Amino acid sequence: MKRLLSFRCWFALAAGLIVLTGCNRGEKSGQAPGASATGRKPTVALVVKTLNNPFFIEMQRGAADEAAKLGLELIVQAADREVDVERQMQIIENLIERKVSVLCITPSGSREIVPVIVKANKAGIPVLIIDTRADEKALADAGGKIATFIGSDNYDGGKLAGAFLAEKLGGKGNVVVLEGIPGHETGDARLQGFKESISAFPGIRIVASQPANWERDQGFNVFQNILQAHPEVNALFACSDLMALGAAEAIAAAGKTGKIMVVGFDAQPEARQAIAKGTMVATVAQFPAKMGSIAIENAHRVLAGNSIPAFTPVPIELIK
Amino acid sequence: MKTRTLFAHYGRQFGTLAGLLGLCLVLWILTPHFLTVSNLLNVAQQTSINAIIAVGLTFVIISGGIDLSVGSLVAFSGVVLASLLQRGLPFPIALAGSLGVGLLAGLVNGLLITLGRLPPFIATLGMMSVARGGALLFTDGRPISGFSDSFRWLATGEIFFVPIPVVLMLLVYALAHFVLRRTKFGRYAFAIGGNEEAALLSGVRVRLYKTLVYGTGGLLSALAAAVLTARLNSAQPIAGINYELDAIAATVIGGTSLMGGQGSVVGTLIGALIMGVLRNGLNLLGVSSFIQQVVIGAVIILAVLMDTAFKRQKK
Repeated sequence: MKRLLSFRCWFALAAGLIVLTGCNRGEKSGQAPGASATGRKPTVALVVKTLNNPFFIEMQRGAADEAAKLGLELIVQAADREVDVERQMQIIENLIERKVSVLCITPSGSREIVPVIVKANKAGIPVLIIDTRADEKALADAGGKIATFIGSDNYDGGKLAGAFLAEKLGGKGNVVVLEGIPGHETGDARLQGFKESISAFPGIRIVASQPANWERDQGFNVFQNILQAHPEVNALFACSDLMALGAAEAIAAAGKTGKIMVVGFDAQPEARQAIAKGTMVATVAQFPAKMGSIAIENAHRVLAGNSIPAFTPVPIELIK
Repeated sequence: MKTRTLFAHYGRQFGTLAGLLGLCLVLWILTPHFLTVSNLLNVAQQTSINAIIAVGLTFVIISGGIDLSVGSLVAFSGVVLASLLQRGLPFPIALAGSLGVGLLAGLVNGLLITLGRLPPFIATLGMMSVARGGALLFTDGRPISGFSDSFRWLATGEIFFVPIPVVLMLLVYALAHFVLRRTKFGRYAFAIGGNEEAALLSGVRVRLYKTLVYGTGGLLSALAAAVLTARLNSAQPIAGINYELDAIAATVIGGTSLMGGQGSVVGTLIGALIMGVLRNGLNLLGVSSFIQQVVIGAVIILAVLMDTAFKRQKK
């Protein structure tokens, strides 16, 4: 009885699926890749890292506005957590199955994104990469292709922040750096740019450089710990505003607001307010909404069969 | 009495299966992209990692325990595997090495619980942090990536159009079903989860079998890690965060009781497929990611709610 039932259970599952797939199989064959299924407006998919970060919400807004203007259908999807590369891969695979016309992606992992870019290539769906680069070597090794990269030069952004801090410090002082998740191309580039600028000033020492994984609460905790070890700190560069804002709270808790200069990255609205209040001194502005709209504009041109540049830089600016 | 509980048990499984098929039917009506061969293989492949981990969790939960460390063990055994591969070891040896590491960590969990008399929640919570930290230390926080095609076959290969991860998943389930139903190990897991005292008094070597149950959990996490690493062509020390929760969800949706002593891997497979199909379908429909989280949570609650209502009725 027991075994019979369990076999039946399996059988029903298998039979049900086979019958149903069989039914649908015929309809689907012979459809051109990239064409929308029912001849409605072409669908553009934007897959960001996460939708609980203001940066990507801005990007989504810019993309949505542009898509409405150009008459494109836009789907925006993201994993729950910024670090979940596998979930991002699943989402993109599902969108490939949905036969979207163009994929716009901000990779959660520069190398981890490569296998799914190759899958999109095989399905004939153009891929536009935004904000965070796909690893060029890994992409070439896997034989993958992207239509374009749209983003700010994070290295230049880091340099800008470094030059500003060096000037503010008058060429000498003790600096702390809060890094993003190690191995993330965006954070690494910002860090390198920053160090490059600072290295021109022998009087400035980086006393600690620790990852706080892009998170606000970690920015708080990590900086609080660093303060214990290095009370002599004069300035902080955080590779994102969220971490900078967290650290600014830690500085306030230690009663050192105004004594330690905080420079962030991203120019989120809250960081701009913090600069106005004096808890931060500067942030590097990127323009995520602009990235989103440029991406959609480029997607539109790809759909029309026009060529697009391999790299579209989005400007950066220091807000102080 | 016995037939009644049997009915209760399999009635539940039919309920889960009906849920899955109903879900498929709804998605079939709503989108033309769902019921295609390539999409179903896609879903099966996406489900495989969670499904393999969930087998280990089903064993643990049936034995009356819980394992929170599986997600971290995925990361830890993944980076071990990656570094062995990068040192030029052939793929089968590297794989054996990382499976060994997973098994060992699982056995440590088991020993902490049996010899150390720690509650499973605490022992595996500790291991969750130790393994995560270990993975981060081991790699300096950076991902290890770029492997040979022979290794990546584990994710990209196919046997008769069926992707290797799916083949692996089915093999694991067939074996686990057999072990749970037909072997001493499996039957004792049920006995321990049903009533540990009674099992002990009837001469079951409870400590040994309990330890082995957690070892199985660790081993299967390492297997899932191999598939994940091949799939992403990269092993990340921050991989597998929250995977324990997904695996617990699949197990619970599949009708395994968190009180222990009751459950089946067939149910867990259906539970994992429900989660996979749901995520896939909501992506196909272009539903907002925030709504997706709400829906998945609601399904978990609904499944267990039906479960308890069903049991109350039976009584």
